Amino acid sequence: MINSIVNQFKQRNFLFGFILILAAIILIGIYKPAVLVEGLQRSALYALIALPMALLLGIVDIINLAHGEFMMVGAYFAYFMSAQFGMDPIVSVLPALLIFFIFGLIVYYLTFKHIIGKPPLNQLLLGFGISLILSEGMTAIATNAPRKLSLDYVSSSASIGGVTFGTFEFVYVAGALIVLLGMQLLLKKTATGQAAVAVGQNPRGARVVGINVNNIYLLIFCVSIALISAIGPLFMTRYTLFPQMGSSFTLKSFSLVAVGGMGSITGVVYAALILGMGETLVLSSLKYGKWAEIIYFALIIGVIMYRSHQRQVK
Amino acid sequence: MKYSKYLAVLVLFIVAAALPNYLGLYQLQIMNFVFVYIAFALSWDMLLRSGQLSFGIAGFAGIGGYTSVLCGYNFALSPILCILIGSAVAGIVALFVGSQVLKLRGLYFSIVTLAIGEIFRVIVRNLEVTGAAEGILLPNAIFMGNATKTYWLMFAIATFTIIISILFQKTRIYYALTSISNDEIVAASSGVNIFKYLVIIFVVTSAIQGMAGAAYWQIYASVTPEGAFNLGFALLPITMALFGGVGTTWGPVIGSAILSVTAEYLKLQFPHGHLLVYGFIMVAAILWFPSGIMGVFKQFTAKFNT
Repeated sequence: MINSIVNQFKQRNFLFGFILILAAIILIGIYKPAVLVEGLQRSALYALIALPMALLLGIVDIINLAHGEFMMVGAYFAYFMSAQFGMDPIVSVLPALLIFFIFGLIVYYLTFKHIIGKPPLNQLLLGFGISLILSEGMTAIATNAPRKLSLDYVSSSASIGGVTFGTFEFVYVAGALIVLLGMQLLLKKTATGQAAVAVGQNPRGARVVGINVNNIYLLIFCVSIALISAIGPLFMTRYTLFPQMGSSFTLKSFSLVAVGGMGSITGVVYAALILGMGETLVLSSLKYGKWAEIIYFALIIGVIMYRSHQRQVK
Repeated sequence: MKYSKYLAVLVLFIVAAALPNYLGLYQLQIMNFVFVYIAFALSWDMLLRSGQLSFGIAGFAGIGGYTSVLCGYNFALSPILCILIGSAVAGIVALFVGSQVLKLRGLYFSIVTLAIGEIFRVIVRNLEVTGAAEGILLPNAIFMGNATKTYWLMFAIATFTIIISILFQKTRIYYALTSISNDEIVAASSGVNIFKYLVIIFVVTSAIQGMAGAAYWQIYASVTPEGAFNLGFALLPITMALFGGVGTTWGPVIGSAILSVTAEYLKLQFPHGHLLVYGFIMVAAILWFPSGIMGVFKQFTAKFNT
């Protein structure tokens, strides 16, 4: 794995981009140190949310437009577990992983299984339909009222050198690192992961060499759903819940995957760093704070322009 | 067979023309919904025939709505003129976006159209000119709120969309777009200017969506960011078109007519989560009956004839 990182640095473009990001981060650190810590936490949350989509879309080419909605359902699961049985949201990550793996299995067998190999339009529409079912189903169960748990440890804070910041949010950093490392190990070190990469590159070729393509799709889909739903409990400790919150995260995750480059897991993390730092920087200014949401649109548009320019050159 | 088709259209037209005399205010209001959704669903389907999936209905409807209401509010122009300006602005935005994004097709196009509505919602919510989060309230609704006249306006817009759709089915644009959606490489090598046709159809359909959106918000005489760029405007027409049957002119029309009346009923019965039904219809349509009601109907008549 270290080798692959070293190889990345040998590419000039990558090195240039990396230095640019590093310089920007150092500048921000000098200008507003609090932004640096908060930006890191926000970036980690974005990376955490986008990584499951990077696995599904980047590796095996399935677009799941209900991505954010699965996170929303996971968050509501943790909320109700906490409200009914007093289960701590952090603890409920584990049952969420198991339950939503099975949920993903059911969803895959009922819907996505019949769509694989068909035009991508069908996948988009199907995902849109599922996202509607999930968000409206949740509205029917839990109404539109925003919900929020009040937990003591969430608001804990520490200060270093006059900069005060929340300590709980480092959960996102830890989570992102664990998920990133896990995915890298899965894809690089295990036979299943290698098979998944092969299926993504050429499903027919993979079938010819004896890979069970259906099982790979099934596994990657379920892992992705389980991961994104298990992020829900972590998400809801800090943010307010409502049934429509998912769609903006689907868009953000997609733009991160597109910016990071389809098929690149580490690329998504760099893209998340840009988005998280940029948003936090804009949020920290009193006058322009409302415009923070514009940042990721700039990201999407920039990448699309770049890609379509590349296509023209070809 | 050929004459019966024209006869059916004629009967439909006469019924639609006679309706304002028999319906109450609330039913006329529902008819306005039906016409708006016909314009949305049919224009969405027209773009889909070229193989491009757009989620931008909400965005373009919102752009048209905001432009027309802003024109009426600031310059006190006549509502009809405002609607036309709204339509034109939506078309110009589509021209700009399309000339950039249509070179990259499939996924990227769909996602960018999905983002358009979100982008404009953020912009509109933060600018003072557009009334920020409260939106804008016009002093008067279009035609002073006369229900019969608004009915005719919406009816005209829906009819206009149907005529454009039929024209597209009859002219060479149809063959160009069909060849593009079948196989782009073959289309390009037989001399079809793919990019040009895709931009044309994207601009035309977006202008229609802008017009319908503009008329819709002129009836309400107000716009708010959350209302105008509501994702429901993207979801419902897509479901209606899928339900009715994509790739035809009358499929989306029938789908919109049935589902927008049902939507009103469901809204009253289940205030929370009535769109759930639409999600199920959408998923079921993609998985089990991809050619919608029209497809089922055609199968049935084919069986009946043999």
